[in-house]
Amino acid sequence: MAKFGMVIDLDRCMGCRACMEACKVENNTTQAVFWMYVFRFEEGEYPNVNISFMPRPCQHCDNPPCAKVCPVGARYKREDGLVATDLDRCIGCRYCQVACPYGVNYFNWTSPKATVKAGDTLLSVSAPGASGLRLGASYVPKLPQYLDWSGPAAEAVGKVTGGVVPPYKNPDLVKSYGPERRRIAGGEHPKGVIEKCTFCVHRVEKGMDPACVANCPVSALHFGDTEDPQSEVSRLLRQRQAWQLLEENNTKPRVFYLGGKPPGTETRQIEAVKARV
Amino acid sequence: MKTRTLLAVLTLIAGIGLAAVSYLFLAAPLGRPTAESLSNPRFPFAAALFVVGIVAVFASAVVYEVLPDGREQRAPARQAPSR
Amino acid sequence: MSVRAERLPHGVGRLSAAASFLVFALLALVALGIYAYSRQFVEGEIVTGMRDIGTMGGAAWGLYIAFVVYFVGVSFAGITIAAVVRLLDLEFLRPISRMAELLTVITLLLGAFSVLADLGQPLRGIINLFRYGRPMSPFFGTFSLVMSGYLFASLVYLYLSGRRDAALMAQRQTSLRWFYRLWAAGYRHTAEEQARHHRTSFWLALSILPLLVTAHSTLGFVFGLQTGRPGWYSALQAPGFVVLAGVSGTGLLIVVAALLRQTTGARDQLGMAVFRWLGNFLMVLTAAYLYFIVVEWLTSAYAAHTSEARVSASIMSGTYAPVFWASVGLLVLSFGVLFVQFVTRRHSLALIVLAGVLVNLAAIGKRFLIVVPSQTHGTLLPYGPGYYSPTWVEYSVIVGLVSLGTLLFILFVKVFPIIEVKEQPQGGR
Repeated sequence: MAKFGMVIDLDRCMGCRACMEACKVENNTTQAVFWMYVFRFEEGEYPNVNISFMPRPCQHCDNPPCAKVCPVGARYKREDGLVATDLDRCIGCRYCQVACPYGVNYFNWTSPKATVKAGDTLLSVSAPGASGLRLGASYVPKLPQYLDWSGPAAEAVGKVTGGVVPPYKNPDLVKSYGPERRRIAGGEHPKGVIEKCTFCVHRVEKGMDPACVANCPVSALHFGDTEDPQSEVSRLLRQRQAWQLLEENNTKPRVFYLGGKPPGTETRQIEAVKARV
Repeated sequence: MKTRTLLAVLTLIAGIGLAAVSYLFLAAPLGRPTAESLSNPRFPFAAALFVVGIVAVFASAVVYEVLPDGREQRAPARQAPSR
Repeated sequence: MSVRAERLPHGVGRLSAAASFLVFALLALVALGIYAYSRQFVEGEIVTGMRDIGTMGGAAWGLYIAFVVYFVGVSFAGITIAAVVRLLDLEFLRPISRMAELLTVITLLLGAFSVLADLGQPLRGIINLFRYGRPMSPFFGTFSLVMSGYLFASLVYLYLSGRRDAALMAQRQTSLRWFYRLWAAGYRHTAEEQARHHRTSFWLALSILPLLVTAHSTLGFVFGLQTGRPGWYSALQAPGFVVLAGVSGTGLLIVVAALLRQTTGARDQLGMAVFRWLGNFLMVLTAAYLYFIVVEWLTSAYAAHTSEARVSASIMSGTYAPVFWASVGLLVLSFGVLFVQFVTRRHSLALIVLAGVLVNLAAIGKRFLIVVPSQTHGTLLPYGPGYYSPTWVEYSVIVGLVSLGTLLFILFVKVFPIIEVKEQPQGGR
């Protein structure tokens, strides 16, 4: 039985966040949801400042605190190492989210909506004190949304790319996977359930790499079977010294980092992340 | 032993038994979830059975108090007026 | 409800103008809560102030969960006092038993509703919790032992201890006679039945106590077992929960008992002896909880992991400092008020009630502080601090729930004697 893991080479990562983009496109995630996230860190005081980058997918832990606490077993550990979320069973209690030390969970606070247009009325708060608003002519979308490729936007892009660009609404996302036949790929992101990085289970089951791994321009991300001594990830782990995030929490993550160093107490992000729904 | 006491004790034991069995053997196993099967109950609605067991434990008190007197007491009870 | 020329005990069946007005006001608030929840049900929880932990810098558990803990906490004290009264045969406290049991039942219901209000898929939640519930999850204990087991046990206790008064009420010509007869279920006030009830209630009280300590501890474990949340991971969570539950529950019971003393006029049964005891009991529990606060503060002040230190700092001197110091201040003030009364042996009902109110406000604040800061400021990876601010939806739902609880309480008081009736039912020997 394959046991998948990811190896992230921080010596190669340049913080371009192509993996975040790829994840977003592949999984059709909604606004401010970053199943794959890349930290842009800064340490030290000017002029002795050090910048580093750290991709943070779900760690698919072998001792997952999220799966331990799920009251209904919607979040579970597969035998191939993936930690999956059954979107049909999830009751939206968000216990997995508060239990996760890595902050990889994203709850669907509302249903994703197709592209909104000027004149629409929204109910959205993105900052304290804001309230529902009617969109004016210069509206900037605030609601979580994804492009609806059955809409007019799809035609335009299809023309430009000659139909080459894959559909945003990937039908693989709603299918059932694994011998357990459960829907764990994210689907249409129904409201009231929680989701996170799936290691692109819908791609992995077809023998492909996750979208982030496949799209990294500098091959900083590697994915494969850690139990197979000949796989790329096994070879990398043999050749180089690897470390893991928050090892002391005994979560036994399946994501290994090469090079760089774990974030310290003085590590901070370059800028405050403002993405919020 | 009066029927009532017997019934109450039986309900109590059944309740404890059902709760214990549901918790330990029918529900999802305790311990680290290492496979999909370990996140599922071994018997459907095991959690409901557990709750039923706990409810039965306390329902035995109702059985003991509320059930009408058994055969031994029927004669004297008939003599007392109900209102 | 028609009453034929006889006054029913303790205000049953009598709805004064003031009470009617209160009922209508409460109904309006419940309607507001329902409307707010309907917005949430339709739009999703985006209408609340909760957001994802991490990149979104929010708190995924907010006011609803804080109130789940608060309501379940309050419920703890009700049945505990009723059980203690029975186990230690504290006869002078018997008059508050029924209102304590009722407080437990109602606040547990409110706790269950708060959980449902928080779920993203509440209907699915009800079914799936019973269908797939996993004992490994600390939340299993909350829903199975607390919401299901302990609620039922308290209902049984309330039911059985009310049968005598139900039989009494059934003797009179009222429109609810069928209800009283159903409740009494053939109760006859014989020596044998009384002895049987005495025995049953003893064992029931004895078995409820470990159940509720276990149940309440699992609620503490929901938080205390998470290494990933600095500030939560602590062996003190479970015992702290139990003690604060005692504090808030006793405080609320004092308030309820004082209100009922006014409205039913039962000054002899709800005399100062009762309030003195409750006040002293509350004083001891408040002192115990202040001890917990001091221990937690000392530990984190002396040495702490950076992540925990960040959470403590946000609570003591950062964003949440006003809530923290207000809660601690209220607890200290209440303790002071009760302590002075204890040593001078001069008890004032008004001051005891004040203490009861203040400790509840402090408990709400403290529950909020347990739930939220560890999410907005307690990330182990350097995400940066977040914020959480409840919206009108959350406030309205909570207000609606509290109003619902009050309404249910009033409904019960108007339908059934809230204090044990003194007369003997006919048919006694």
